[in-house]
Amino acid sequence: MAELHKIIASVKDALGAGARNHNSHAETLSAVVPVAASAQRAELASTFARELEEVGGKFLGVLTPGEVNSRIVSLAGEIGAKTVALGQGPASDMDAVGEALERADFRIVRTVPVADSERAAMRARVADAELGIAEADFAIASTGTLAVVANANRPGALTLLPTASLVMVQIDRVMPNLAAVLAAMGPEGVAANRLTLITGPSRTADIEKRIVLGVHGPKSLHVIVVWPHDD
Amino acid sequence: MAELPKARDFFESSSAAVGDHELRRKLESASARHLDHFAQVKAEFPPYEDEREAAHRIKTDAIAHLDELLIELTSKLEARGCKVFFAADAADARDYIVALAKAKGASNVVKGKSMTTEEIDLNDAFAHAGIDAVETDLGEYIVQLRGERPSHIITPAIHLSKEDIGQLFTDKFGIEYTAEPEKLTAEARSRLRAIFLAADFGVTGVNFAIAETGTLIVVENEGNGRLSSTMPETFVAVMGIEKVIPRLEDLSHFLEILARTATGQKLTTYTSFITGPRREGELDGPGEMHVVILDNGRSAMLADPVLREALNCIRCGACLNVCPIYRRIGGHAYRSVYPGPIGSIVSPNLFGSAAGYLPFASTLCGACKDICPVKIDIPRILLHLRWKESTGQHPLKWPRAIERARRGARRFATAALHPRTIRMLGKFAAMVLKPFAHNGYLRRMPGPFRNWTKYRDFPRPRPHKRPEPERPPG
Repeated sequence: MAELHKIIASVKDALGAGARNHNSHAETLSAVVPVAASAQRAELASTFARELEEVGGKFLGVLTPGEVNSRIVSLAGEIGAKTVALGQGPASDMDAVGEALERADFRIVRTVPVADSERAAMRARVADAELGIAEADFAIASTGTLAVVANANRPGALTLLPTASLVMVQIDRVMPNLAAVLAAMGPEGVAANRLTLITGPSRTADIEKRIVLGVHGPKSLHVIVVWPHDD
Repeated sequence: MAELPKARDFFESSSAAVGDHELRRKLESASARHLDHFAQVKAEFPPYEDEREAAHRIKTDAIAHLDELLIELTSKLEARGCKVFFAADAADARDYIVALAKAKGASNVVKGKSMTTEEIDLNDAFAHAGIDAVETDLGEYIVQLRGERPSHIITPAIHLSKEDIGQLFTDKFGIEYTAEPEKLTAEARSRLRAIFLAADFGVTGVNFAIAETGTLIVVENEGNGRLSSTMPETFVAVMGIEKVIPRLEDLSHFLEILARTATGQKLTTYTSFITGPRREGELDGPGEMHVVILDNGRSAMLADPVLREALNCIRCGACLNVCPIYRRIGGHAYRSVYPGPIGSIVSPNLFGSAAGYLPFASTLCGACKDICPVKIDIPRILLHLRWKESTGQHPLKWPRAIERARRGARRFATAALHPRTIRMLGKFAAMVLKPFAHNGYLRRMPGPFRNWTKYRDFPRPRPHKRPEPERPPG
């Protein structure tokens, strides 16, 4: 810790050399955007869908909970998946999704909280799955982004290790922009969670600036926006 | 830095690079494509200028409160179970990380893309300790396989064609030759995936550190940063002291502009909010997380009121893409980890006065200032550094030619103070040089004056005042 004090001291000295503004931090420009009213939801969802497709994601539609499971089963078939990995989500009933997939004869990897000794094996099983299913806490319309929180019940590996990724998001969680999502989560929410923003499938432009999808993460990203019955 | 750049080396490497037409073609095509993308996303995003202004303001303010913010960040990180280490210089940082890897018995180190770890020469340190450290960003992986360094801070392999890379993979892996980016990427994916699953020690850089929440932000497109920070049992994040921003709500201003200028994207594919080691039952995240906060000359930059602005840099690489010098010589010619306009500012300060020639490798055209997302006045800082160099405030071993030019300039200054002398010299020069002129221009001059006309035509001095030179012929 001696180094800390030395460096802080040298930073402090250095700052003493120039003019210093003591009015605490700069005032902010970001306006807190309220959660969109029901009438605007469809519009935000369609902006989100357009932006998602622009970054190479695939929009599977705005579906009711009743339609979701059968759409997931057909997606798993379309991409030729044998094993599907899933965890819990903030709102959707993932157990029902898992059961629907099992009835259609897909192998299921259910991610549950793991002990240290089981971690490597669980990761390997998730990595071997052809499809990982997760639910985002928020989506960002202006950039086609998903804000996915990971914890013991819903690991981040689900959107990272399998070859294809499916992410669901509730329609009232589609926000206009990044500032609105950060404001909705708040400093405590961000500090307490393992948050990742996902904008399209994994990609690179490292070889002659040509875009190639699926470098380390999923090669394809599919998104379903869920519209609850009572809306 | 193992190899301290020297002025003579730079003259040689840049002269060689200027003549490399293939390199020039690659740089021009990559830069042009990049600038097209940027123009497009900027046009589609009307708040761009406002966000840029906000980012400039927040960063300037953060730098002015750096001591307080670093203390806040450290206490938040420690409260979440991270170990924080302050490294005064590159050697401190290297030694700490390598000693940690040894103490953990690490044998498979994976690295996410990070310029800061390039700056401290971490790969060499791992190699000396007999530890395998693999660069996992595709571009970095490619240059590491070639035993090179990145030539661009965003696109490390910008100097290579797909054919170069195809040949490299054939040579290294014995696979059938292909120049298709898709196939080459798939090959790298499967090799690196196996390495990730076995990795026990991960290192990444940091794009932003939020003091308020103790959160480290890492942006990337490939997923290697996510894998490097969540798969290995021990994870080390390396950041410069200038990466800290005050509050969570500041972050969106930077993220809204960083990807747009860096790669022409609205947002990068992945933005990780790293908040410490994993908790009970979690599948992701390291058991142990360390944060190395690096000074390495940055507090000295902070002490200089002009240079301080350079600490606002968010390493987007846009100034490289627009720089007429970078676009002709590429990143390697600079002989520094940080090439291009911003590199010419930070290199002499991070790596010592041996890189003091770099501020002169600029035409001061100002394209870098115009594109900089955090509005750093790069030409002004370059001029300031030139002034420091030439007034000996920053001692430099000058090549003799420049020393001579400086003496000549001083004599000219003396002569210019005497109107009669200068008029006489003018008449004399006009007379002597007349036989060498052609269409009003000197194309080639003899003897010691040869260098004046080596790269440009020189207007013929005339005895009578003529306010504007003639147009060049043709």
